[in-house]
Amino acid sequence: MGFLDRLAQMLGLKKKDAKVLVVGLDNSGKSTILNHLKPEEAKTDIVATVGFKQEVFQTKTLQFTAFDMSGQGRYRSLWEHYYKECNGIIFVIDSSDKLRMVVAKDELDTLLQHPDIKDKRTPILFFANKMDLRDALSSVKCSQLLGLDMVKDRAWHICASNAISGEGLAEGIDWLTEQLQSMLKGK
Amino acid sequence: MTSQSTTSKDSIDATRDDGKWLSAFYDPVASLYTFSQCITLSDINADGDNKLIIADLGTGSYQMKLKVYKGTNLVSENTLIDLPTGVATFYMDQNEPRTPAVAVASGPYMYVYKNLRPYFKFTLPSLEINPLEQDVWNQVRDERIDVGVLREMLEGMRAEGTSLTVRSLRFIQLQAEDLEAFANQYKHTPLKKQTVITSLGTMKKSLAEEDAISCLVLGTESKQVYILDPEAFTVLSTMNLPSVPVFLNVSGLYDVEFRIIVACRNGNIYMLKRGTKNARSCIELNSQPVGLERMGKNIVVGCMDETLQCYTTKGKKLWTIKLPASITSMENVDHKSKGFKAVMVALSNCEVHIYKDKYLVNIIKTEDIVTGMKFGRFGREDASLIMTTKGGGLIVKILKRTAVFEEKDATAGPPVSQNIKLNVPKKTKLFVDQTMREREHCVSMHRMFQHDLYRLRLDAARSYVKALETSMNPVSTNTTEPLKLSAQVQGIGPTFKLTVNLQNTSISTASFNLLITFQFDDRLYNIHKTYIPVPMLVPGLSYAFETFVDCLSDKGISDTIKVFVLRQGRSVPIITAMISMPVSETMVVV
Ligand SMILES: Nc1nc2c(ncn2[C@@H]2O[C@H](COP(=O)(O)OP(=O)(O)OP(=O)(O)O)[C@@H](O)[C@H]2O)c(=O)[nH]1
Ligand SMILES: [Mg+2]
Repeated sequence: MGFLDRLAQMLGLKKKDAKVLVVGLDNSGKSTILNHLKPEEAKTDIVATVGFKQEVFQTKTLQFTAFDMSGQGRYRSLWEHYYKECNGIIFVIDSSDKLRMVVAKDELDTLLQHPDIKDKRTPILFFANKMDLRDALSSVKCSQLLGLDMVKDRAWHICASNAISGEGLAEGIDWLTEQLQSMLKGK
Repeated sequence: MTSQSTTSKDSIDATRDDGKWLSAFYDPVASLYTFSQCITLSDINADGDNKLIIADLGTGSYQMKLKVYKGTNLVSENTLIDLPTGVATFYMDQNEPRTPAVAVASGPYMYVYKNLRPYFKFTLPSLEINPLEQDVWNQVRDERIDVGVLREMLEGMRAEGTSLTVRSLRFIQLQAEDLEAFANQYKHTPLKKQTVITSLGTMKKSLAEEDAISCLVLGTESKQVYILDPEAFTVLSTMNLPSVPVFLNVSGLYDVEFRIIVACRNGNIYMLKRGTKNARSCIELNSQPVGLERMGKNIVVGCMDETLQCYTTKGKKLWTIKLPASITSMENVDHKSKGFKAVMVALSNCEVHIYKDKYLVNIIKTEDIVTGMKFGRFGREDASLIMTTKGGGLIVKILKRTAVFEEKDATAGPPVSQNIKLNVPKKTKLFVDQTMREREHCVSMHRMFQHDLYRLRLDAARSYVKALETSMNPVSTNTTEPLKLSAQVQGIGPTFKLTVNLQNTSISTASFNLLITFQFDDRLYNIHKTYIPVPMLVPGLSYAFETFVDCLSDKGISDTIKVFVLRQGRSVPIITAMISMPVSETMVVV
C-alpha cells in the first residue's frame, strides 16, 4: 500500500479493503444478492454464473471485493482456491430447496474441514435466501439442518433474506462488516 | 481434496451413507406402490427443475394415480382408470417453452398428458377375431343356438388353444344361471379383441438432441412392438416377436437406424432393427429375465435365478454373477459429468448393489425392500437416486460430488489373471464336422446313447441276478455263511499249482463242515485233489488250500475251472469262483 493510500485511509477518505468469498449451491441466489448490493449503475441481468465473477461494492466503512463463485457441481472445486486469501465467507442457501439441504451441508462440511479455513477464524455469514417463497424453511430450521450449532471455532451468523427485494441483506452485511473491521484492525 | 472421515463429527452424522450417498429424503409411509418402469424424472414445467413422475399402482384395483413431486412435495395427482404398466416423458412438438409430455401406458391405452392435463388417448389397434368365435356369437344373436351350446363351443375352442376375446373368456367363467342375461346384454354389440401394453419406451425420431421429438415404443401382450408417431399418434411401424415382450431397451433414431432389445416372457432376448418386421433371436436365458439394461455395447440381464448376466449384442455371454438374494428391480446409472456408468440391482435382502462391469463397487443398505429405482436429475441435482419400497416408502439419495467408485471388486473374487484370454488353438475341420454332425443329429444320438445305456444296465442286472441265483460269486452274501474266496494259479504248466484262499468274514461265528471241490473238463485237466475238506474257519483269518493241476492237452488250449465251496449235505454251493487257466507250455521231453 502506497503512502498516499495510507494517508487517505488515516484521514478516513479511503476505506479498508475486504475480500469475501460468496459460495453456495447453484441457483441459491448468490449473484442476485451481490447484484442487489452493487451500486445502481453496475446492476446486470442475472444468469447462471460460469466459473466465477469478481464484484465490487461498498458499505459505510469497508470496500468489498466479492468472488461470486458458481455453485454448479462441476465448478465447486474452484471454491477452495480462494479460501486462503478471503477475509470472510458468505454462504448462500436456497431455503426452499429442502431436497438439496444435505448437499449444502456436505459442501459446508468440506469447506470447514479445508486446511486453509480450519485454522483460520474466517467469519461466515449465512443467507437463508428465497424467504419469500411459500415452501421456504425458516432460518432456524436451515441452521438446524446444516448443523450450524456444531460450528464453534469461528463467528457465524444466519439471516433470512430475499435477494430480489433486498430484505434481510443489510442485516447480514452489517454483521459481516463489523466482524471484518475488528479483524482487519487487529492485523 | 480434504479427507472426510477423520473427524468424529462426520462419523456420527446419520445423513452419510457409507460416504458416497447423501440421504436427502426418506418417507417410509409415502404410500407409493410402484416399480422402476413407472418412475421417471423430467423437466415437465420447463423451469430447469426436474420433477419426479410416478404412476402409482395403488392397491392394484383402486387408488391408481399419476403423481408428480416437486422436490419432496407432492404437487399433482391424476387418477388413472386402469393399472399402469409404464411411464415415459417425451417431446412431442417443437413449441417453446420445451415442455415434454407424459405418457402413461395402461391396459390397451396410452394416455398422454401435457402440462399435467389429459391431452390424448391412444388405443392399440384391435386384433383379428377368430372367425369361428365370431360365427358362434352371430348365431346366438340370430337365436340359432342357445347359450349352453355357445358355452360348449367356446370351451372347446379354448381347450384347443385358440386365443379368445375378453367377452368370451368372461362368458365361460359365469355361473349357468347368468349366461342368458350376459349373452342378451352383449350379443348385439360387435365383438372386439384388444390387447394390452406390457412395456413402454421412447425413441428419438430424427435428431439425437436432449429435447428432440421422440416416438413412443410399445410392447404388447399380442407379441408385437409398435412405434408411434409423436405428432399424429399413428402407428409408424409394427414388429412381431415370438413371445410377449416384458422389457424394452431402445437406442438409436427412428429415421436413421435403431435397435430395440426386447426381453420376452419365454426367457429369450430378441433384437429388432430398423426395416425388419420380425425379431432376430439373440440370447436364450436359462432363467426368466427380471430386468434388462444396456451398458454401452453390452446387455446386462437380471434373472430370476439370482444371477446378473452380461452378453454382447451378438449373444455371446461375457460374465455371470451370482447375487446373494433375488432381484427386485434394476436401473441403469449414467453419470455423464463423472463419466460413470454402472448397473444398479435392488435385492430382496434390503440392499442395492452397484456393478461397474462385473465388479461390485458399492452397496446401499435400505430399511425396506426396494421395488422401484430411478437414477437421474431430480430437482437441480444430477446424481439423484429415487427408490420406492415394498412398504410404500420413498427414498431419495444424492451421490456426493466427491464420491469415487473403486474400479476393483469390493468382494473377494477370482483374480484378475483369470480374465486373461488363453491362446486356444484354432478349431480343426474334423472338430467342426463332428460338431456339425452332433448338432444336426443331437436327438437321435442322444436316443441311441440312452438305448444302449439301458441295454447295458439290463444285461448287467440280468447277469447279477443269475449270479445271485446260482451263488456264482466269490463273496457269499448269505448272512449265515459269510465267506470270501479267492484263487490263484501258479506255474507255467503243464502242472500248475492252484491255491484257494478262504476267509470267514463274519465277526464272531466260526464256519464248520465246509469242503472245496472243482468242476472242470477232465479231458483237459487232471486235478490231484478234487475234494478238499475244510477245517473249522476262525473269523478273520485267511486259509490257503493247495492242489496241483495237470494240463493234459498239448494243443495250447485252455479252459476255466470252477471252484465250489460247499456245505456237507447240501448240493447248492455257498460260493463259486471261476478260474481262467493259462495256456500251458508244452512238455519238453528230454
Ligand atoms: N423468489 C426468489 N427468487 C430468488 C431469490 N434470490 C434469487 N432468486 C432467483 O433464483 C435464481 C437463481 O439466482 P442466481 O443469483 O443466479 O443464483 P446463483 O447462486 O448465482 O447460481 P449460480 O451462479 O448457478 O451458482 C434466479 O432466477 C433468481 O431470480 C429470492 O430471494 N427469492
Ligand atoms: Mg451466480
